[in-house]
Amino acid sequence: MTMQGKEFTKLVTRLEGGEALPSELYARTGKARIVGITGPPGVGKSSLIDRLIDELRKQGKTVGVIAIDPTSPISGGALLGDRLRMQRHSEDEGVFIRSLATRHHHGGLTDSTAQIVHALDATGFDIVIVETVGTGQDEVEVAEVADTVAVVLMPELGDEIQRAKSGLMEIADILVINKADLLGEGKARQESRPPNKSEKWERPTIHTSAKTGDGVTILCEAVDAHHAYLVASGELVRRRERAARAEVIRLLQSRMTASILRTLEAPRAQTILTEVAQRKLDPFDAVQRLSEEILGSNK
Amino acid sequence: MKRPIKVLIAKAGLDGHERGALVVAMGLRDAGMEVVYTGIRNTPEQIVAAAVQEDVDAIGLSSLSGGHMAQFSRVMELLKKEKVKGVLVFAGGIIPDDDVKKLKKLGIKEVFGPGSSIASIVEFLRKNVRLK
Repeated sequence: MTMQGKEFTKLVTRLEGGEALPSELYARTGKARIVGITGPPGVGKSSLIDRLIDELRKQGKTVGVIAIDPTSPISGGALLGDRLRMQRHSEDEGVFIRSLATRHHHGGLTDSTAQIVHALDATGFDIVIVETVGTGQDEVEVAEVADTVAVVLMPELGDEIQRAKSGLMEIADILVINKADLLGEGKARQESRPPNKSEKWERPTIHTSAKTGDGVTILCEAVDAHHAYLVASGELVRRRERAARAEVIRLLQSRMTASILRTLEAPRAQTILTEVAQRKLDPFDAVQRLSEEILGSNK
Repeated sequence: MKRPIKVLIAKAGLDGHERGALVVAMGLRDAGMEVVYTGIRNTPEQIVAAAVQEDVDAIGLSSLSGGHMAQFSRVMELLKKEKVKGVLVFAGGIIPDDDVKKLKKLGIKEVFGPGSSIASIVEFLRKNVRLK
């Protein structure tokens, strides 16, 4: 780490609050490998990351982890319980773990995730792991941030129709069936083979058990193999271009949203909204009138 | 928009009585706070490292097994050693009155014993946490 621990942790808090990463730090990013870990709640994502940290530390790599849990739509509070599974790594200076609440962001991440990934990258972490909230079928934003996405599932989650659906399953570069110990002893070892081709990526299915540690080494090899594929095929450059574009679009959107909300506070806008509620004006006509003002206020 | 208060709730040492700490964690969540819950069997070193990495406003320590003096004083010592400033520390569990006095001398701001309401803990945090 190039920055003192406390200075860094304060920076992360400011980024979480919506401040921008200093340009000189952004200029230093692009070196870390960014791994997304996603999947439904309770499949063992955090416990698996705990095991991955072991493996990566054995290889001498430093690891930054962003672990996201949902903000309550009712109270605005959050119970951040991912760190608890990785808490034994807290004292390791080569590991930094930060828990984040979604603060009403949809898509599986937080508003600040990309910026915090950059901060970890700029500070010199070799691997940045992004653990999404427990996802359903449609929270796929992690694919816009990570180089490699592992979708973690567990036995008995569904049949082949579930596998064929769009969304979450499509963004998996690696499919992980965790809790393989439920399938019987040794299952993780028998079922998993790391891929070895680098020209064309064939998505591997890796059986793991975060409980026993089985299959975790193979998962690590698969992550390495995917990175090798990304580099050899030129896909890494394309993915990072896509990520940069997506990040700029997200930031533009949040600025536009702020501007829309400001405009709607004006009395004239309030009148328009009331007219829509009273069925005197339809929503599309309202948008037509309001958008002129919003675009004006953006200049 | 003002950010939520962020609190670390942890149990130090060999003490498996998790229910109280979890109830407090959920209560603070329901009061709109962001609560990092690190569960049972944390070492004081892990607690302080987690508090720094998570940049929390407050640390809530729970103990029901009698280890509070050794564990909590070590946490306070480490916070001082690591120069962690502006983090409020409070405690809860089964802690005798004499020890409450000693813990407060060490800088633990409040100790919530059996029968304390969630509302009183919420009020205490809202009053005493300074959002940086």
